[in-house]
This record gives sequence, structure tokens and C-alpha cells, in this order.
Amino acid sequence: MNRKRALISDTFKIKRRRNGTEQFGVDCKEDGPTDIRSTLEYLMTLFPRKLFNDSLPLIVLKHQLYSVHHDKTLVDKELNKLREQGELLMFQLGFDTEAFGLIFASDYKTKVLAGEEGRETRATVERFLEKVVSSCTDLSFSKDKMLRQFLFTDTEITQLVKSGVLTVRDAGSWWLSIPNSGKFTKYFIQGRKAVLGMVKKSKYSEVLKAELEERRTNVQVKFPMKYLIHDIVGAELVESIPTTSGPLLRFVDS
Amino acid sequence: MLGYLTARQAGLDDPLRLRRAESTRRVQSLKLNPDRDVDRIHGNGINTIDIEAIEGRYMLSGGADGVVVIYDLENYSGKQQYTCKAVCSIGRSNRHVHKFSVETVQWYPYDTGMFVSSSFDKTMKVWDTETLKPAEVFEFEGNVYNHHLSPIARKHSLIAVGTKNPKIQLCDLKSGSRIHILQGHRAEVLSVRWSPRYEHILASASADSKVKVWDVRRASGSLFTLDQHNGDKSKASSEAVNTAHNGRVNGLCFSGDGLHLLTTGTDDRMRLWNSATGENTLVNYGKVCNESRKRLQFTVSRGCSPEFVFVPCGSSVAVYALHTGELVTMLRGHYNNVDCCEFHPDYQELYSGGKDCNILAWVPVLRAPDVEEEPDSTKKSAAGQPSVNPAFEDAWSSDED
Repeated sequence: MNRKRALISDTFKIKRRRNGTEQFGVDCKEDGPTDIRSTLEYLMTLFPRKLFNDSLPLIVLKHQLYSVHHDKTLVDKELNKLREQGELLMFQLGFDTEAFGLIFASDYKTKVLAGEEGRETRATVERFLEKVVSSCTDLSFSKDKMLRQFLFTDTEITQLVKSGVLTVRDAGSWWLSIPNSGKFTKYFIQGRKAVLGMVKKSKYSEVLKAELEERRTNVQVKFPMKYLIHDIVGAELVESIPTTSGPLLRFVDS
Repeated sequence: MLGYLTARQAGLDDPLRLRRAESTRRVQSLKLNPDRDVDRIHGNGINTIDIEAIEGRYMLSGGADGVVVIYDLENYSGKQQYTCKAVCSIGRSNRHVHKFSVETVQWYPYDTGMFVSSSFDKTMKVWDTETLKPAEVFEFEGNVYNHHLSPIARKHSLIAVGTKNPKIQLCDLKSGSRIHILQGHRAEVLSVRWSPRYEHILASASADSKVKVWDVRRASGSLFTLDQHNGDKSKASSEAVNTAHNGRVNGLCFSGDGLHLLTTGTDDRMRLWNSATGENTLVNYGKVCNESRKRLQFTVSRGCSPEFVFVPCGSSVAVYALHTGELVTMLRGHYNNVDCCEFHPDYQELYSGGKDCNILAWVPVLRAPDVEEEPDSTKKSAAGQPSVNPAFEDAWSSDED
């Protein structure tokens, strides 16, 4: 054993694992290499594809991962790695400065091109996807960059905005966006409000997670319960407390 | 722990390792101790506390009613049950007391003969501890939010003052002059802090969401402004470029070695920065509830590995690991909002003060005593007085004196 390399903090972690019993009701992954990819894939299966008639790629929000993995910094690092490799794309969704949407790059490209079938903007969009999205990991683009670095003309930029791949950020810069995502944002905000309302209205403003998953959502809420629960836990709008009957979600007054 | 002791004995380990390991264990077991109490003098909320750096014996506290109290933290009574008594105080009856709430108090870094307090009555007073009279009064145009004296300065004796005015004033203790001004912020300066590593480096946080790092010897502006996106202009909306937070920045704290800087803001985030380059280390602490309209006093542990950050969060104190960002524990005990907390590095204790007029002492839990005891000694101690900690036992005075 190389003493000089051993960290003092490791001693305490080992002790805790040996002595501490299994924490009740905690369904997060603590030890072993955190596999962000498999968590992403699992969360993507929760996304309601049929609701949007399969026209939208599967979207997961960044903070939904925080509800599964406890170490937020590690999650951020892994996500950045995946983005650098070009497998994952991150988008600024617009309704919250901290809400970032994650989509697999391949999924995004297929869905966008499928949506562009038969339209005159198809060629520009295809060029944009190949040149810009594959090489650059930025969330937004300025006019300068688009004109000089990527050699797009003004009319082409207008076409990209029309097709929904770019959204106006302010005069002379654009966010990278998902075409037809307006419906997604609308239903998502509605769903988040409804679930938070459910938790708030309960006695003592707290509900067992298992019980909340069982509850029927009213007709307005289109998203599956589990997707929304991951969202509110990860965004720290409710506090997840481990109990002997499973995790308890308590509304956080802020 | 036995492993560390044997290694230390055999010389396999550096002596510092054992000390760090024990300090870390103690910090991880911080709890409210029923035996330790701090005298309750303040009639209104406590805004700031400071423990002197030389002996770690005296603590200053400043309250919302303008009262400043000095406590003695040492326990010489030999008993377990101990209340930290107030040695003296500048109460409402004192002629020179501050008119409005005291926002910051700080001991003179080199001895306890002097301390400086600043308040919302737009003055900063330098007090003589013996006579409790102000030796010097500095007056300002706006409310004084924060002041700080450099803990390591040898070549200068400047006090950096953050007020409602966007300009940071540097007051000289030796000459009483205040002509040195640092310009650059656009809104009120909520917090200022000297670096514990370099005596000329100063960091300032302001309500315009910016944190600037200055070298006071430089004639032109700041060295750099902290940017939460590290220059990646694409991430934020265009107004948020070059800002440290998405709201007011109201808390600043350097780590013990001065290599890192922590900032908290009203966007409920805490960020860790590399203080040499100004780079955001992107450690994600999650949501750190922050609703303070004034400065938030938080602190970092010293002498542990890994270091911990103690941040007041609503009515409890949150303890985070500094470099990984995980929440270690929440210290609950106050009845109302916690405004300030201070770490005592020698005993690994935490003192926190809040709106409920209490200062609570969080003491590491002692190891459980050995179960195996000889039956005679237990009988003897049960018959006599309550058991005294063997460290305080009087083993040398003779009965004849």
C-alpha cells in the first residue's frame, strides 16, 4: 500500500461504508463508477414519445440526473465529456436559466432531418447540422461567428430560424434550439406545476414518492409521473428525505 | 485512527497527517452540545461574530441593536458544563455606541487591544479594548456593509470598506487617511475580503452581480472580474456576461490557504474559484438558499482534509465538502434565520449567530469512553463528585498548602 498516495478523506469513506447500514429508501447510486450514459438512457425511456407524434427527439433535463446521482460535480464532468465527444447536445430551454435539455446527437439529427423532409430549407439545415453542430459545443451563436467562421449568409440564417433550429436570443445572436419544442415546454411547465401542486396540497406538504407515482395525473398533465418527479427532485423544488417506507418528498418553501 | 497513530509512531507518516485526520473526524461529528453555552446578552439579532486569531480565546459579536459584546471562550472551570461569559460589552448606555445595527466586527489581527466595528449609522469605529472608547471614527456617505483588515499585512495597515457607494474605500489605520479608492463596481459593495496569502490582493463582491479582484498597489482598475461561464459567452444571456452570479453577490470567503475563493449569491448558488486565475472550478453545490439582502458571513474550516464550508442556510447551517460539493450535513438548532458563523480552528468548533439572539456552539462529539472499567474505580467515582475530565484533574497541588 502506498501510504503517501492515500488520501485522508478515503479513510472516512471506507469507515462509513463498513459501519453504516443501508440508508432507508435511498434509490440513488453511490458507489462504483457512475454510469451517466445508462442513467440518461433510462430517463429517455420515460419521455412520452407518442405525445408529440414521434416528431421530437427524446429530451432529458440536466437536473433530472441530479436526482439519481448524488455527486453533482461528477455528473457535470461526465456530461461535459460526452459533449466534447460529440455524442450529447445541450440546449438552453428558455424557461429557466438553469434548465438545460440534453439530447443524443444522433437522435437530434435524424429527427430534425425527418422534420425537414420536402421543405426548401432542408439543404441549409443539413449543412448547419454537419458543419456547426458536429464541431462546436456552444449553446448560442453570435452573428459574427455564423458569418465568419461557418460562412453562412444572412438569408441562410433566416432559413435556419424559420426551420426552428435557431431561436432568437437578442439582436445578433441565437440559441441552438429544438424544432417544434414549444409544445414540449408548454406541457412540461404545466406538468411541473401540477405535480408541485399535488405535493403542496398534501397534509404537511409531503408525500411518499411511491404514493405519488401511483397517483393518477389529471387529463391536463401529459407527461408520465416519473419524469416529472425526477425533475422536481433534481431541481431541488422538493426535498427527498429517506424514510423507512421509502423516500419522502417534502415541498421546499422558497 | 489506530493505524494513523502507529504510523506516526513508526515515522511512516508525516506528523501533519494524524493531525489532519483527527481534525476531519472532529468536524464531521459536529453537534450541539448541551454542556456548552454562550451568554445571551443581545436583545436583537446577531449580525456578525469574530474570533481573534492569536489565541482563539476571545470572541466579538455585533448585534442589530448596535451592541458589541466580547466573550471569553476558554473553559478554565474544570467542569463539563460551561457557559462562555461575556467579558465586557459596549451597550446602549455607552456614550460612543453605534446608533444603528452593527454589520461587521473584526479584531485587530495582531493583538486584542483593538477592534474595529462598522455599522449602518454610516460610521466605522476603531475601539480600544481596555477603555471601550473609540480611538478613531471614520464617517461615510452610505451604510457600511462590510469592512476587513488584512490578517497577514506587514507593509500596510489598510482597512477595506464596502458601503452603499460603488467605490471601495481604503482607510489607513496608521495615518487616518482615506484617500485611496478602488473604482469599478456599479452598485453597492456588499462584501470585501483580503487574501490570506498575499497582503495586497483584495476581493470585492457587489450587488451588480460582479466580483472583482484588486491589487491595491496598482493605479488602474481591478486585476480581473470573475466570470461564472469562464469566458464561454454562449452559455448565458448577453446581460449576464462577466458576472459571478445571476443575482446580487453577498458572500465572500477565501479558503484557508488563499488559493480558492468562495462566493455566494442571491441566485441560490455557491461557486468556488481559483483565486490566482479567476477560473470557475465548476464545483456544483446545488441549491444554497440565500435570501439575505446584506452580507452573508460564512466560513471554511482550516486544518482538515478535505476542507468543509459552513454556510448559513435559512435557520440551519449547511456543511459542504469544499472540493466535491457534496452536502455533508445540516446543523439545525437555531429558531430563526442564521446570519453568521465562525470556525475555531484549534478546537474545530463552530459558532453561529442569528436573528433569534442566540450564539450556538457546535462542538465535536467526544469519543465514547471505554466500556471496560475496573469495578472499584466506578464505585469510588460514583460515591464522590461528578467525574472530572482527567485532563483537568489537579494532580500536583498538595493538600498542605
